Amino acid sequence: MNRFARRFLALPLCFALITGVACGSSKKNDAAKGADTSKSEIKVGAIFDLSGATADIGTPYSEGIRDYIDYKNASGGVEGHKLALSWQDFKYDPTLAGQLYGQYISEGAKVFMGWGTADTEALRPRVTSDKVPFMSASNAETLTDPSVTPYNFFPGASYSQQMRIVLQYISDKNKGKKVGVAVFHHDSPFGTSPLEDGKKYIADKKLDIDFKTYAMPKGATDYVAQIGQAKAAGAKYIIVQNVPSPAAVLATNLAAAKTDIQLVCLNYCGNEIFVKKAGAAAEKMIAVVPFAPPVAGGTGLDEINTYLKPKGTDATAKGQGYVQGWYTMAVMIEGIKNALAAGGELNGEGIKAGLEKIKDFKTGVSDPITFSATYHAGLLSAPLYQVEGGQFKKIQDPIKVEK
Amino acid sequence: MATATGVYHTTYGKDLALRHTRAEYVRLALLAGLAIWLPFNLSPYWLGWTNLILMATIAAVGLNILTGYTGLVSLATAGFLGVGAYTAANLRTFFHWPMIPAVLVASGMAALIGAFFGLPALRLKGLYLAISTFAAQEILSERFRSWKRLTRGHGTITNNPPKFAGHSFTSKFEWYWLLLVITGLVVWGSINLFRTGLGRSFVAIRDQDIAAEVMGVPVGRYKVIAFSLACGLAGFSGALQSFYPDTLTVTWESYEIDRSFLFVAMIIIGGLGSVSGAVYGAAFLTWLPNYINQFGARLQTSSFKFLIQRLSAIQLGVFGLVLVLFLLVEPRGLARLWQRAKDYFRLWPFRY
Repeated sequence: MNRFARRFLALPLCFALITGVACGSSKKNDAAKGADTSKSEIKVGAIFDLSGATADIGTPYSEGIRDYIDYKNASGGVEGHKLALSWQDFKYDPTLAGQLYGQYISEGAKVFMGWGTADTEALRPRVTSDKVPFMSASNAETLTDPSVTPYNFFPGASYSQQMRIVLQYISDKNKGKKVGVAVFHHDSPFGTSPLEDGKKYIADKKLDIDFKTYAMPKGATDYVAQIGQAKAAGAKYIIVQNVPSPAAVLATNLAAAKTDIQLVCLNYCGNEIFVKKAGAAAEKMIAVVPFAPPVAGGTGLDEINTYLKPKGTDATAKGQGYVQGWYTMAVMIEGIKNALAAGGELNGEGIKAGLEKIKDFKTGVSDPITFSATYHAGLLSAPLYQVEGGQFKKIQDPIKVEK
Repeated sequence: MATATGVYHTTYGKDLALRHTRAEYVRLALLAGLAIWLPFNLSPYWLGWTNLILMATIAAVGLNILTGYTGLVSLATAGFLGVGAYTAANLRTFFHWPMIPAVLVASGMAALIGAFFGLPALRLKGLYLAISTFAAQEILSERFRSWKRLTRGHGTITNNPPKFAGHSFTSKFEWYWLLLVITGLVVWGSINLFRTGLGRSFVAIRDQDIAAEVMGVPVGRYKVIAFSLACGLAGFSGALQSFYPDTLTVTWESYEIDRSFLFVAMIIIGGLGSVSGAVYGAAFLTWLPNYINQFGARLQTSSFKFLIQRLSAIQLGVFGLVLVLFLLVEPRGLARLWQRAKDYFRLWPFRY
């Protein structure tokens, strides 16, 4: 074989190999499907971020969802129906999310588990027109109004609600004093989502808070300049609406600046990943976390630990994202259970009604979750935790504020 | 055929022709047949990807005009996709324009902004220019992220699908035909561009800009024109994407620097300085990651289940490996690979 022919054949050969393996495994797939139970499967579509911009928290979250389905199927499924989860890594790419959504819905997925702001926003119009109950980890307040987004749900407290809770907490701690609060946020709609609602809450409640906002530029290696500005403006608290990695950089800078500014994280940096990355700088950080980090304990962890024990691990090792994923899936399944109990054919409208019926669903790691026909976020309240010796300690029982 | 010693042209007309041999006409007919056969035989999922490939092709062809033919590197393709998408979605959603004028104005807007960001090309070359386009990309993505008025404070815009005579265009099947015609026209136009004085001047600038200037090519003006053409086509592609049913929501995450790199990879893998190369590259690089992803999804139910935790790393690894293999085996891309395959069969049993 001459040089050219070798080159010319090398690539097709590579693909033939890949395809061969792929075909082999797909046959096994079909064989597995052959073993069916008496009742029909309920298909669940999901997209996870395992290799994109938010993979750090996306990975444990996805494990939580997958394991919950596994756990549920092992204990007989939902009312005898097995759950069939179809999922793929979407790399935080909204276009890929759209393609995968289309594929899973055409394969008969009854509900869909999304992930972040990008895919939730991109799929919002389609979820509404396809009538597919959609749950994600994007807690933007704009998704909570059923008259606008009737099929979007999330079990936690919205970013805006978390902001109000923190502002109320700060105000209560500093009675009769004017407090400077600086909000450091991700430079995107995800980051800016709670800002206006925070300002409005201060105005409505006449809180004595001086509220300033600072964007955290993407890819910045330090936030020394922004900290300097916040300090000059008299900030006593910095509220962070960002993911763990940049928040950890901020914490390190803040520790180096030796100020008395208190760091407060909203839920996406209030987790073990932040503590691990920030190290000693994470000490004394306060976090508002709708779903408690596993190290803080909680009765809701028993179920998870029973499942994980034979696998030689536990909820603490898996982390807060895992617990959140687990209970997000659990809440969705509860909605399906309600829909099955109501009878009739299982469809999107039925599951939506089933989800809206959820009242005081106990997770043991958060306040009881409630949806209604007028509000699609599961929680209005959240407790506050503080990092002490690298561990989360509860410092404040759940605060419930008006939305 | 085997007895011919090569393809010779005896008139100027023949020399300029796009197709010289009967085999090339046969190939064109086969390609047309395939294009007609495809939508009837693909699953909706893969048809969706085919449509995305067609739209990516438009921007890749544009980038190849700029980078492959004119020799100016651009790392801002995604930014201009965004300019097109945001402009079209704004005009459609907030000003209720119909699709056609919205897409045209959006492409014009991208071309105009592209010409502006192309100005540094008058003074800069090579890596220096790459950095200045990188800056353009960063400026544009910053605007998409934090300019509130662009999205009326919502952060994203959800476009309305186009309507013609009361019929809403929302099926992938209909879009396939629309995109096939549009992309076909863009490709056909671009191939013909390089038979005109303008196209030849682009090539002259790439090969040796001082010599081009000496020959009377207005180098500065043509560089800016090349930028504006490439960015206009990127904007055109972005505007179409904002009307396409699967990508109706315009969000900043779609227009980040990594997507710009993907387009550069497309034209390198496809073949720099070849319109058909841009088509191959767009198809290959849209299809490959998705194929790897699908392959990964199959692992979930196979006996290789233990690999799931490593899946994302494996996917990235395979993608990188294929790219490196390509660059090693055929640095001049898929277009050149195809050319060599043709030569091989034409000259067989001789080596040359």
